Amino acid sequence: MLSRQNLSTRRILLAWLLVTPVVLWRLLTSVYPFLRTFYISFFDNSPVRRTFDFVGLDNYMALTRDANVDATLTFTLFFTVTSVALQVVLGLAIAELLNQRFKMRNFTRAVNLLPWAMAPIVIATAARWIFHQDYGLINDIIWRLSGERPLWLVNFTTARFAVTITDVWKNTAFLAVIFLSGLQGIPLELYEAAKIDGADGVRSYWYVTLPLLMPLIISMIIFTAIFRVLTFEIVYALTNGGPGTATSLLSYLVYLEGFRVLNFGYASAIAMLLFFIVLVVGVVGYGFLRRAWERL
Amino acid sequence: MNTQLNLKRGIRTTLFTLMVILFMIVILLPIYYIFLTAFAPSGKLFTVPLTYVPRSLAIARFQDIFGALPIARYMLNSTMLATFSTIVALTVSLLAAYAIARLDFPGANLVMIGLLASSMLPGTATVIPLFQMYQTLKLMDTLHGLLILYGSALLPITTWVLVSFLRQVPVEIEDAAKVDGASFFPLLWRIVLPVIRPGIATMFLINFIIGWNEFFTPLIFARGAGVKVITMALSEAQVIGARSEFDVSWGNMSAVAILTTIPVFIITLIFQRQIVEGITSGVFK
Repeated sequence: MLSRQNLSTRRILLAWLLVTPVVLWRLLTSVYPFLRTFYISFFDNSPVRRTFDFVGLDNYMALTRDANVDATLTFTLFFTVTSVALQVVLGLAIAELLNQRFKMRNFTRAVNLLPWAMAPIVIATAARWIFHQDYGLINDIIWRLSGERPLWLVNFTTARFAVTITDVWKNTAFLAVIFLSGLQGIPLELYEAAKIDGADGVRSYWYVTLPLLMPLIISMIIFTAIFRVLTFEIVYALTNGGPGTATSLLSYLVYLEGFRVLNFGYASAIAMLLFFIVLVVGVVGYGFLRRAWERL
Repeated sequence: MNTQLNLKRGIRTTLFTLMVILFMIVILLPIYYIFLTAFAPSGKLFTVPLTYVPRSLAIARFQDIFGALPIARYMLNSTMLATFSTIVALTVSLLAAYAIARLDFPGANLVMIGLLASSMLPGTATVIPLFQMYQTLKLMDTLHGLLILYGSALLPITTWVLVSFLRQVPVEIEDAAKVDGASFFPLLWRIVLPVIRPGIATMFLINFIIGWNEFFTPLIFARGAGVKVITMALSEAQVIGARSEFDVSWGNMSAVAILTTIPVFIITLIFQRQIVEGITSGVFK
């Protein structure tokens, strides 16, 4: 007979045996390389110049003097705030739309998912054609309406909006799906109660729906903001970070420094800056989330 | 009184229908435009104003890209990487998820939080050391090397979702099987797997789509034609027969965009419900 203690030791052993592949896999392909990036960021490491020299904080000092990094941070802020705001507002609106009863609702819900399912690189590459000055879809519509043909990818401001619009088109579906599921989780009795109190339509949305969705909205803002900071494909294929550095994002900068200039040390320092920003967004966002939960 | 109410309701319905139509146009028109571009006969592509009704369908672009690039090979690589990374990731995630959801062990929470935290580490913050590791270990330009990275990206979310699916399933059946003396793997295979089959199927679909759409990883780690994937053909197709760097073949690009998109569209349109369930269960539970 096995004793109780033996059984539980065996259970714990089995449990660790079962989680080992996942844990090991992530340690080797994610955690260790991340720590190694941190380590390399203190070195002048270039496969071209064949260097691996300790330089202390030099790479980080260089970050503060780099005009590209400045421009990149400016656009990161613009892109993250604009895109997240648009995605959340449109996501809520689409969720409301898809929550109504109408013919072809299922089909509409499926159509909503199409941009989500498409590869980011496909959308980014195709967007260059859609935003084409003379033959692009967007300028054709604008031209029919106003007779103008804006130079989307040549001007600073319009290029920034082109990147943002493309991102919103691709990713709002995801938020809409999540908000829709949140809407479906709100008990109908609450709306009936609100109706008795004389609130309907906009007011019941404002006083019943939004407060109940708020923790979900906040957690989605954090999640969406983090992924905006990490965006790579749209900038890589649509604008190459241009014109100039107007639409450069940190992931793209890491790619350029690391795999075009082959400056691994400096690229690692940029990557650490990227990680730091993600961390700050996450921590600050988590604080907001906790307060939202407490208010419920 | 009654007609006024009816009128109000009529206006509301019309407005609502207009919104739905606008929404459909915003989503579908750009996609349609890419189809149009891919099938436009050369010379008919650059017209002002655009013609939205195709006069004829030309498949010349597709012949061009299949002639100039190993498209079939790229698609096969994409299919293999997406399929196998999904299968392997699901298998090891299921083992971990079972341990976390069922075998109350010290460290279970740590593993969950650790997985979540590690999924927040940006790919760009790990890519340089991985690149160096892959060169040292001769994993560059190999399908199994790519498979390791594709799979790795899927593990955290897959494990989380499977844990949430397992926690919704009552434990009693498993306990009964245990009393009958079923050992671990038969228990997992015969009792647990059938019960959470919907969860597995959902994650299979989503992970396949993620793997198929992967671009950054192959951009860095797959440089030889033998291991390249379909998402990398977009930029290659643009420059087939190009006379200068500004000479971009939008038709060829669109043809590849369609080849890349059709499989994921078919999956999405057929399995809409399952995909939505997968997306939301990752967030809510």
